[in-house]
Amino acid sequence: MAEGWSTMTNVPTHWYNIAVDLPKPLPPPIDPYEGESRIALLNRIMPSELLHQEFTALRYVPIPEEVRDIYARLGRPTPLRRARGLERLIGNGVKIYYKFEGALPGGSHKLNTAVPQVYYAFKDGAKEVATETGAGQWGLAVSIASALIGVKATIFMTKSSFMSKRQRVLFMRTYGATVYPSPSEVTKYGIEALKANPNHPGSLGLAISEAIDYTLQGEGRRYIPGSVLEFVLMHQTVIGQEAIEQIPEEPDLIVGCVGGGSNFAGLTYPFIGARLRGEGFERTRFLAVESKAAPKLTQGRYEYDFPDSGGLLPMIRMLTLGHNYVPPPSHAAGLRYHGAAPSLSLLVREGIVEARAYTQEEALEAGVLFARSEGIVPAPESSHAIRAVIDEARKMPKGSVILFNLSGHGLLDPDAYERVS
Amino acid sequence: MGISRPALGLYLTATYPSVRHFIEVLNGVRGLVDFLEIGIPTGNPKYDGPIIRMTHRSAELKGLEAVKVINDYSKYSKAPVLMGYAADYIDSLNEVASVARSVNAVSVLFPDLLFDYPELIDKYVRVMEDSGLRPSFFISSKTPYKLVKRLSEYNPLFIYLGLYAATGIKLPIYVEQNVTTIRGIVGDTFLVVGFAVNSPDMVKSLIKAGADGVVVGTAFIQRMSNLESALSLLKWLRGGLP
Ligand SMILES: Cc1ncc(COP(=O)(O)O)c(C=O)c1O
Repeated sequence: MAEGWSTMTNVPTHWYNIAVDLPKPLPPPIDPYEGESRIALLNRIMPSELLHQEFTALRYVPIPEEVRDIYARLGRPTPLRRARGLERLIGNGVKIYYKFEGALPGGSHKLNTAVPQVYYAFKDGAKEVATETGAGQWGLAVSIASALIGVKATIFMTKSSFMSKRQRVLFMRTYGATVYPSPSEVTKYGIEALKANPNHPGSLGLAISEAIDYTLQGEGRRYIPGSVLEFVLMHQTVIGQEAIEQIPEEPDLIVGCVGGGSNFAGLTYPFIGARLRGEGFERTRFLAVESKAAPKLTQGRYEYDFPDSGGLLPMIRMLTLGHNYVPPPSHAAGLRYHGAAPSLSLLVREGIVEARAYTQEEALEAGVLFARSEGIVPAPESSHAIRAVIDEARKMPKGSVILFNLSGHGLLDPDAYERVS
Repeated sequence: MGISRPALGLYLTATYPSVRHFIEVLNGVRGLVDFLEIGIPTGNPKYDGPIIRMTHRSAELKGLEAVKVINDYSKYSKAPVLMGYAADYIDSLNEVASVARSVNAVSVLFPDLLFDYPELIDKYVRVMEDSGLRPSFFISSKTPYKLVKRLSEYNPLFIYLGLYAATGIKLPIYVEQNVTTIRGIVGDTFLVVGFAVNSPDMVKSLIKAGADGVVVGTAFIQRMSNLESALSLLKWLRGGLP
């Protein structure tokens, strides 16, 4: 471990597994009745430690020292800041704090799980990791983690983003990754999708299928997912654990945006867990904000569905719009996903987490207000959370406290802001 | 009425592959297992893996009719338990219980009860007790601690921890760690574990980790076309019991 410049004191030592504190049991993943066992397939595609973590009975899972060390080198703990400019703009005495995950070198929270996932793939002897990405935040995080740990990264990026987010493609390549637009010509799922629609904009569900198919085509490859699976959410809980230490007062409201649920869970689960165990935060509300382009929390059905459009992964019980749902292209590409993680779906169903959907225009307007009042251009995904923060703050009494997750910065998303600013 | 510790259990789907063969197997396993789980053939065994799903599809008789081909399961093991999907009997729990009673089973285990009908736990316990049976519960490694604790307070015949995501499919999960964690919550409740158990070493380490009973299903069923080989699997597995 490096000495002198990195003190590990504030980097959490464990990830938090909310499953053991939920009000109801999480239904297990299942196989469909047709075809090969998807559960058995997991053995061939995923790093083994991650499979253990998906089914662990531990409440607190230890973070390996090597991973904590990289967390610290990359800038964990991330800052918790007071949004005084935004508070002034709203002007009713509501206090707003945010956790700034955009401070990590990838510009988003995604490194929190990219690092352990690539680390465990490397531990398994993998030479290469493959994955999907929407806006490219996840792909960029995997590219960085892979460069640091010493494995090759291959990224399938939804085509609409591949075209509009060229800088992220270039940065992924700068870190040494190979990036394909999805649908691509390198997997049968991509080829089929292109045949059906040559102008297919791509979807995260399809990109997942491509990454898995690619993993199966070669030796020494491992597939790693960017969201939705429970271990991904668990890795993100470093955010909330730090926030509990950092925040000087108990929040009345905690807000995050939701693609698959990982940054939302990362910030809120340590708080929700404490509440479920009767250890505080009884009056805190939790608000999950999604895009109207993919409104699974507000309009989805709670049922077993595939996490990927190709149906290669086991089915999970979640709020879903159906695995064949192709969301309209949106600047918040990270929110263009048909389902929400099983634990988050369950918490929404139980009424512990509230949900709301915004259009991208509504979100980006709020993003501009935030940029002009706080000096940070938010990721379009995070702008959805900011929109909800502003709307809620206006209704709350003076002295109320809001905490939200600024899951990423938007410095590589100028295309999104072009039209609203 | 309980199960001796440590114990080896066997899962069979009633009337798979045929009534005759099922009875033959039951006669064969007498004395080799401490408890039996008899699956009620269903059209939707969703939490089972591929092999056990196949047994449900191929069983000669379906539903409770299949179970009734034997009128006294206690001839074959001290603690026979029926296992069915609550989804099939949500409006007829009493009927399942009375069939269980009539064939001398001691409990009915519903693997989907906690996941799909957690609000019916109390009703289920009442039905079991009113019928002179004991409740038993299926949990996964991610079952909330508070709920596991509550289940142990119903004085169940056992709590069954599914070690993997589905029957018969091994994943790289530290199952012993999960068993030890759950043992820490259930106190001295009889803790059964199963799914993909296929060697005496596995039996041994699961018992060492805190299990009281270990169930074999898929590995046995895969050998059932040759009864001798299937029975020798049981003898081999018993070698893992302390
Ligand atoms: C900055 C940012 N925020 C949020 C998300 C949504 O994903 P999740 O719900 O898993 O946090 C993404 C996904 O790409 C993202 O890049």
